[in-house]
Amino acid sequence: MNATELLNRSAADMAGAVREGRVSATALAHASLDRIAATQARVNAFTDVTALRALQTAADLDARLAMGDTTAKALPLLGVPFAVKNLFDVAGLTTLAGSKIERGKPVAAHDAPLVSRLQAAGGVLVGALNMDEYAYGFTTENSHEGPTHNPHDLARIAGGSSGGSAAAVAAGQVPISLGSDTNGSIRVPASLCGTFGLKPTYGRLPRNGTYPFVASLDHLGGFARSALDLALMYDALQGFDSRDAGCVARRSEPTVAELPHGLQGLRIAVLGGYFHDQAGPEAREAVARVAQALNAQQEVELPEVARARAAAFIISNAEGGALHLPDLRTRAADFEPLSRDRFLAGALLPAAWVHNAQRMRRWFALRAAELFQNVDVLIAPATPCAAPAIGTEWLYINGQKLPARASMGLLTQPISCIGLPVCAVPVWACDAALPHLALGVQIIAAPWREDRVLRVAHYLQTAGAISAPVASLN
Amino acid sequence: MSMTLTEIENYVDAAAVVLKLPLSADHRPGVLNYFALASSMADLVAAQALSVCDDPAESFEPISLSRDAVSKRVFGTRDEHATNTR
Repeated sequence: MNATELLNRSAADMAGAVREGRVSATALAHASLDRIAATQARVNAFTDVTALRALQTAADLDARLAMGDTTAKALPLLGVPFAVKNLFDVAGLTTLAGSKIERGKPVAAHDAPLVSRLQAAGGVLVGALNMDEYAYGFTTENSHEGPTHNPHDLARIAGGSSGGSAAAVAAGQVPISLGSDTNGSIRVPASLCGTFGLKPTYGRLPRNGTYPFVASLDHLGGFARSALDLALMYDALQGFDSRDAGCVARRSEPTVAELPHGLQGLRIAVLGGYFHDQAGPEAREAVARVAQALNAQQEVELPEVARARAAAFIISNAEGGALHLPDLRTRAADFEPLSRDRFLAGALLPAAWVHNAQRMRRWFALRAAELFQNVDVLIAPATPCAAPAIGTEWLYINGQKLPARASMGLLTQPISCIGLPVCAVPVWACDAALPHLALGVQIIAAPWREDRVLRVAHYLQTAGAISAPVASLN
Repeated sequence: MSMTLTEIENYVDAAAVVLKLPLSADHRPGVLNYFALASSMADLVAAQALSVCDDPAESFEPISLSRDAVSKRVFGTRDEHATNTR
């Protein structure tokens, strides 16, 4: 199998092939860069391609292997190409965060810690990825860079705000990528692009070296085409960093070795109520199929989910608006037109609304903690529907007319509001009219139990209930 | 509790003055729409019965730069955590 064919396989397969000398890291880097060059015009996932850096990193790895460096040979992501949402600092690049305003600002002096950690694990950075401006959106219809297209249907959105991160993985440009998730920005694009996406527990991964959106709610995580690849990446990313005030000083808890335990000892239930009512028929079908594959017969409910979602909305709106207030005062016209007025409004919210939202958030987190006394894993849809066409203004979900761009996060916001770990997994052809599209299901666990969501995702993939194929891009 | 359109207009214009945030004629209608949406979300939250003892989710940890300060306790593994919370 040559490097080009290998690029359609998993990161684990790629690292294994490099380790066994069947392919060089340099050949894999070339294959990734060639694939990006051949597909960028159709997908528009990348905003920067770091070809020189990638080839130098790969050459260094190959040289170490040639010298018999056993440490290099053992790296879990040996020679694996990866890319990052362009809110991550990459040394030598300006951190754009999807904006026009940041263009021309000084380049980053250092990589973000998570970029450094992936490279230290053997990863080869090939570029930075498109996103909604300042992460405030669910569609990656970026007016400055152009929209990112869904690789499985180029007329449709990739989701957002980490749309480039999901699309690059779905398009086979890279096997793994990094993104961020404040209200659903990993889980929504993973759902729409048919990839796996992991949003770890709030406070698990350090966020320093990334452009913030909402400090109270921002999480970092990743995308892959298999649960094992997600686990390999996540294990390489773990570790406390005191420079992020939100990072919890917790020891690394590796997950890869946990995957074979499957469903053993896990109590799994379907989240009903709000998560059923706000889901379209295809999203309900996706959950039903996952529930059947897991033999999950119990349905449970969280109370006051709509209020928790409202709390997340208020906190995001206010913190985001306040963060950008200086630029909103002086150059509002340079903001993304799709989110500018939301930022302006958010900067004006009364303090009492925000304080109450933070109180609601803790109340809801306590209710979830009570629920997790009796269940280990919850399943719920990730998006109310499959990917809409680019430019869609309104969705019709169960007779409700909803604004499309805000509503793609209806089912993810209540979960990130309380920081629970989630793996979004892709279920295909849930809508008979859209057999080529996936829809994600959230596998949710109690705080710090990323091992459980990855175990369930791995079980489902091994059982053939879910998959994340590379798009044909026809 | 819902704000009327007039109340929203009055509040938005006054708050924008206080914050020295100019709202252009092109942007103001969108701002009013999104403020109304935020207001409806705030109403949803306000309707939840909370006691004075329901603390906010925000937390603050005092910071010391002295060498002997232990900034954050290193928590245990997931298994230790499970034991501790039983």
